[in-house]
Amino acid sequence: MSRALILACGNTLRGDDGVGLYVANSLADELRDPEITIQCDHQWTPELAEPISEAELVIFVDASASLPPGEIACQPLQPAPNPPAQFTHQTSPSALLSLAAELYGHIPARSYLLTVGGKSFDLLEELSEPVRQAVPAVLQRIRELLSRPQRPES
Amino acid sequence: MSKTITIDPVTRIEGHSKITLQLNDRGEVTEAYFHVTQFRGFEKFCVGRPFYEMPYLMERICGICPVSHLLASAKACDGLLAMKVPPAAGKLRRILELAQLIQSHALSFYYLSSPDFLLGMDADPSERNLFGVAKKSPELARDGIRLRQFGQQIIETLAGKRIHPGWVVPGGVNEPLSVEKRDKLLKQIPEAIAIAQRTLAWFKIEFENFREEIRTFANFPSLFMGLVTVDERAGFYEGKIRFTDSLGNIVEDKLEPADYPEYLGEAVEPFTFMKFPYYKPLGYPNGMYRVGPLARLNLVDNCGTPLAQQEWVEFRALERSAVQSSFHYHYARLIEILFALEHIEEYLLDPVITQSHARYTASLNNLEGVGCCEAPRGTLIHHYRVDEQGLITWANLIIATGHNNLAMNRGILQAARHFVRSEKLTEGMLNRVEAVIRAFDPCLSCSTHADGRMPLWIRLLSSEGKVVDEIRRGP
Repeated sequence: MSRALILACGNTLRGDDGVGLYVANSLADELRDPEITIQCDHQWTPELAEPISEAELVIFVDASASLPPGEIACQPLQPAPNPPAQFTHQTSPSALLSLAAELYGHIPARSYLLTVGGKSFDLLEELSEPVRQAVPAVLQRIRELLSRPQRPES
Repeated sequence: MSKTITIDPVTRIEGHSKITLQLNDRGEVTEAYFHVTQFRGFEKFCVGRPFYEMPYLMERICGICPVSHLLASAKACDGLLAMKVPPAAGKLRRILELAQLIQSHALSFYYLSSPDFLLGMDADPSERNLFGVAKKSPELARDGIRLRQFGQQIIETLAGKRIHPGWVVPGGVNEPLSVEKRDKLLKQIPEAIAIAQRTLAWFKIEFENFREEIRTFANFPSLFMGLVTVDERAGFYEGKIRFTDSLGNIVEDKLEPADYPEYLGEAVEPFTFMKFPYYKPLGYPNGMYRVGPLARLNLVDNCGTPLAQQEWVEFRALERSAVQSSFHYHYARLIEILFALEHIEEYLLDPVITQSHARYTASLNNLEGVGCCEAPRGTLIHHYRVDEQGLITWANLIIATGHNNLAMNRGILQAARHFVRSEKLTEGMLNRVEAVIRAFDPCLSCSTHADGRMPLWIRLLSSEGKVVDEIRRGP
């Protein structure tokens, strides 16, 4: 069982949409803990339900189109009581928790969605200035979450 | 008073489309159109690029079957270099293709279509999805997830990435397979085979509940087309083109994929961006043919692996001649998963597979190259021309889903005529029309995945444009 699972999502060809992957790659360079698994995806898909069910902590990292550029939000997650009606192969973090509970009978004690407001989602392979400046704070937030004792979020 | 029904978007498929049904004044469906409303333009924007970039540009067409585009493109580039690939690379490429078939078919069957089978075509659409499947049959949902995981894991093990890997190159593959990685994959195959067999056993029982759908889901005579190997098996990575008719007779055989302009024509219609390929000798639209799992199992005289062969015999016993109902694309998909698993095991057990020599190199030797393979949805052709510097001057792609365009349009007309019979629309009625398209598992974009965000809004209009009835899904 992984102590922690960090799931980054995005597209590095679409500017700030790739911030989750930049963060994940930085963490992969920094963290060499075999109990921490880092995975990058274009989308979050149902196949993740199984590894999520085996982790004690899961942190989803993604860009946000609604937050102001560079602003960071960290939201504790619970399984979605009513997963989306229309569903194919792209799933929300809370729906994945729901699927993990339904199919594998276990969810992490703590789950978070960490998002960073994007400025540009155009076709380019670099982050905008406000998002680039936010990356160290995102990394610090993840370190704090990883170092916290394993107990359910109140 | 004539009326028009629009189903927009069609859900639980890959890409964007809508369906229009036209009704006469007696409320009977007279016409049906499947509109593909997106335009990609890959054939144009690759012009001017060096040929060796093509595999990595072209695989970006799709997020579900990038491996097929990667392989067809690499094979076209092999043709430009006028070279064969090392034996190990050939087998590794074949494993990659079959692994992709497993994950793509698993997505189609378990994620997109099993909600219809398990919960029913008329079930509440808010529950008719994978979450609904997870609640009613957790084992089925877990099995689907596991099979898709395994297909993706094979791709990642061989090629480094589950989606858009760069491992296949003109002349072979970038890196050989280690013994350790091979053994790790081999260990997982028995579990995956057990899953495929378990699902087949369940699904065959379910046929009883879908007799009407089997009878009316694009169930008509047509030609079938696909690659067949020299030993008469479905050729996912190699082979020659075969056409058979609805009686199972061979119409044409051993056609070179590179000669496709001689036997395939492409028509266009004003209502869709998707072209209509047809078998030239019969003209348009009489030259309708089908490709993909149903066609592949209809084209051959044996399946080639022990367990899949047993299933194939049962499959072909459904009808005296070719299996014609497109509902059975789903059945064929499951048999192909089983075949792929057995075949991957065969390749992995071959000592050649871990040989270190996995790539040949050469310079540009031809100014034209054609690559062909069987994508999960059917025959895929990449055709390139280059100048003396190796820059692309022209490209033509015949995408698997396109081959089925004529049959899909005719199929929704057949199903709509049967199920849409009154002025009062029901969601289940229209879900069946969509389910015909879903049976073909079209990949329209291929890499756009926006359905699930867009609302479904079906309106029944009078000829004067007055709304007679409407239903909505989503916001």
